[in-house]
Amino acid sequence: MNHLPEDFIFSQSSLQDYVDCPRRFQLKYLLRQRYPAPEVDDLLEFERRMAQGERFHHLLHQHAVGLPAEVLQKRIDDDEVRRWFDTYLANGLNDVPERRYPEYSLTIPLGAYRLLAKFDLLALSDDKALIIDWKTSRHVPRRDRLQKRLQTIVYRYVLAKGGTALNGGQPIPPEQIEMRYWYADHEGQLVSFAYDAAQFEADEHYLTCLVREIEERERFPLTDDTTRCAYCTYRSLCERGITAGPLDEWELDEPTDLDELDFDFDQIAEIEF
Amino acid sequence: MRLLKDQQRVASGYFDTTIYLDGIAGTGKTTAAIERVKELIRSGVPADSILIWVPQANLAMPYRRALQRARIDADTNVPTTTIGKLAYEMTDLFWPLISDDEKFNFGDKFGRPNFLSLELVQYYMTKFLGPEIELRDYFNSVHISRNRLYTQIVDNLNKAALVRFEPDKIGDRLKDALGDSVEQSYIYDDAQETASLFRQRCLEHNLLDFSLQVELFVNHLWPLEQVQNYLTRKYRHLIVDNVEEDTPASHDILRDWLPQTDSALLISDTGGGYRRFLGADPINAETLCDQCQVHITLDNHRVMSKELVALHDQLDFSLDPSKTDEPQSDADARDAIAYAPDINYQPQMIAWAAEHIASLVHDQGVPASEIVIMAPYMPDALRFSLQRELDAQQVPHRSHRPSRALREETASRTLLTLARLAHPHWNLPPNKFDVGYALAASINELDLIRARLLADVLYRNGKLAPFTGIKNDALTQRITFDLGMRYQVLFDWLQAYQAQDPLPLDIFFSKLFGEVLSQKGFGFHGQTDAANIAANLIDSAQAFRQTVSEIEPNLDIPTEYVKMVEEGVIANQYLRDWEDDQRDAVLIAPAYTFLLTNQPVDYQFWLNVGSSGWAQRLYQPLTHPYVLSRQWQSGRRWTENEEDEAHRQTLAYMALGLIRRCRKQIYLGFSQYSEQGYEQRGDLLMAIQTMLRRLNRSDAHA
Ligand code: SF4
Repeated sequence: MNHLPEDFIFSQSSLQDYVDCPRRFQLKYLLRQRYPAPEVDDLLEFERRMAQGERFHHLLHQHAVGLPAEVLQKRIDDDEVRRWFDTYLANGLNDVPERRYPEYSLTIPLGAYRLLAKFDLLALSDDKALIIDWKTSRHVPRRDRLQKRLQTIVYRYVLAKGGTALNGGQPIPPEQIEMRYWYADHEGQLVSFAYDAAQFEADEHYLTCLVREIEERERFPLTDDTTRCAYCTYRSLCERGITAGPLDEWELDEPTDLDELDFDFDQIAEIEF
Repeated sequence: MRLLKDQQRVASGYFDTTIYLDGIAGTGKTTAAIERVKELIRSGVPADSILIWVPQANLAMPYRRALQRARIDADTNVPTTTIGKLAYEMTDLFWPLISDDEKFNFGDKFGRPNFLSLELVQYYMTKFLGPEIELRDYFNSVHISRNRLYTQIVDNLNKAALVRFEPDKIGDRLKDALGDSVEQSYIYDDAQETASLFRQRCLEHNLLDFSLQVELFVNHLWPLEQVQNYLTRKYRHLIVDNVEEDTPASHDILRDWLPQTDSALLISDTGGGYRRFLGADPINAETLCDQCQVHITLDNHRVMSKELVALHDQLDFSLDPSKTDEPQSDADARDAIAYAPDINYQPQMIAWAAEHIASLVHDQGVPASEIVIMAPYMPDALRFSLQRELDAQQVPHRSHRPSRALREETASRTLLTLARLAHPHWNLPPNKFDVGYALAASINELDLIRARLLADVLYRNGKLAPFTGIKNDALTQRITFDLGMRYQVLFDWLQAYQAQDPLPLDIFFSKLFGEVLSQKGFGFHGQTDAANIAANLIDSAQAFRQTVSEIEPNLDIPTEYVKMVEEGVIANQYLRDWEDDQRDAVLIAPAYTFLLTNQPVDYQFWLNVGSSGWAQRLYQPLTHPYVLSRQWQSGRRWTENEEDEAHRQTLAYMALGLIRRCRKQIYLGFSQYSEQGYEQRGDLLMAIQTMLRRLNRSDAHA
């Protein structure tokens, strides 16, 4: 039975959720059930780190659209963010091609649906297509773990498959693509992943099978790895515990799925009251 | 859907020029525009270089859905925007270019902007203006609630930004046109003083409400080369839908932008302009036609049946005294409507509507989503009665309520009551009734009667006592041991919480929700709606804390928040509320809300057809949509004739706009007496009766 709406859009976060726990995927993306329990024990610190991450990404966006670094530096009131920004100025753009697309999104067809990737920065030259993801997390994950993360798989695949319009109407050859995680809190340490045609084919096969599996699922079982439930807001719904896990032991140490701003800032008239 | 020839021209031609496309609702303009976007993408145009611009966010939904479903082997993630969204994004991104400019006088020139949500606008209105209104005795002759006063002050500031006149000219404009009496002039002076004061305070604290965001973007950022280059280079193709519902601020930006695009399509709904009360200016929109190289009109109506076309023309004739030639129709307008004669009171009308809807859904297989019930206003009492009747008829329904007070929801009230219990130092103890209510909502299977008993016995002097505090065995048994133990879990949690330093309110809510209320055996467990409302409340309290603590770090933020909610603050609007509203269910909504969704349906039920609300504007003593529009010539007086003409036009726009969004039939519900017992003889009813008499007369002559 297919539960997916016709206009469903997959993303690295929804696919990662599915791989981590099918039930979470169902609750979050199919049923769109919000369940506002804490994700971690120390919510204030969690919020502080999220805000720092957002602030840092925003500064980089402002810098990328041409606001001078000194103008931006004057306005940073958080020492950590300032240190990150200085690190970025020192080495964040080393070997980054000149044709740059900050905060760029692409969707491509995936089976009967679409797959979305939101890049922090895409940078292109004649023979290189670089994806940069700015990370502000406290830990640098192990390379083998990052390699397996859906973000690494999805981002490279989406660019190879959907970057045509950015490349003069020609697909970007996988061999030209590199995915680079850049760690602000570790002096700009890099973890890079190259790409090639074989990996592209393997990713295509993997992603297509994954989507087909989701489409054909009758049930969305709870994960067997109950350690995940400590960091999942649905834990009470699934009867998998009461309190949230400690922030310091959280594997990711960085929110991957910053909810988009959803307020309607537009005006509202009295007639509607 | 197959496109007609002119639609085809719009969809696949003129990729290097500008088009102005008009036609009445239902002629397939948006369909053609969606196809155009797809064709642009197929031709190699990057999706993110196309911008879809609409007057309000939900109007972009047909585009988003169609593009998400499109079988196109390329990126289809086309951005959509409104003037508000653009103003917000550009102010946020390019803030450093203006924040230290002396002319604005921002309180913290190197600090960040604080964007105000609807809730926060209401909060700061109360905070900045409330004491001044008291002190200076502003608006002493106006007898409307404070919230309504504030909304009209906000409305005036918004109009100044969207129509583009100086915000310190609000009072003069109103006085020149409407200040007949000294009393009325004072009201406009007070409206000016309060608007200016609010603006000044916002600048002092880097607080940016909608009006200030628009003003900064349109007047100060857009003229900067860096900003204009950023936007015009990024978005090479514009699709602007419902340009007639947009405002002069949008039109002015578009006028500058059009010559810089590769292509643009501007779409105007002839006869539209329903958002006039929000600053929409269809006459100004028309001036953009001259800026476009190609003008196409679609006139092949694809929504209304021929009976509805006849109804449209006949009612138009009845509503427009300048029309002298009776319309010739090849169908009978009366076949497009159904009504029950001889209904005296509103409950009968509601029952009549529900029965007919049930018959359509259950007997004739009409999808519930193809039915809408509307009235000029949809007060809670009417909405609840409709919901109850539809429930009894087993018809699924949904209700889009554009504005809802946070405190109205059971889940929010429960969380707020428990928060008061957990924070005795606030000195805001809840009353016994609210405690009983909160216990019933918190503990699964605990009915209100037993919850009240619990509150009676265990709630004293602002404090709950443990379950063991009940000494009466009969009562313990009546509550049951099982429910008593659940009460005890909640009690223990609240006690343990009080032993620690208090948490920010949103975090308190989140923990209470996660650790108790959503656990098995408690009232929020698996309750989708309650969880959603809790999530909204948590977001709201968090946003409040983040902004307010920045402005006044020493303020007692939780109690400020609780007071704000208790005073009836209207909740923020979320785009997801529109997105999630796709269930197969009958829509219950005010007529304007339905019109502004711009989605036709098969069947419409118009209730309270005799109400004068179909034609009359709300009583708004502080503002005026016509005088504060760009079409208003300064120095003129607003006359009674103009007032009458405005009523007539409002009614005609509304009624004809609704008919154009109906495919099969309109059910007219009217009761002789209103809810308050007044006889109902509004202009819409009169016009319909005139039309029916005329049609019956011509039958007799034939
Ligand atoms: S609580 Fe555990 S089982 Fe339930 S959705 Fe979350 S991760 Fe999956």
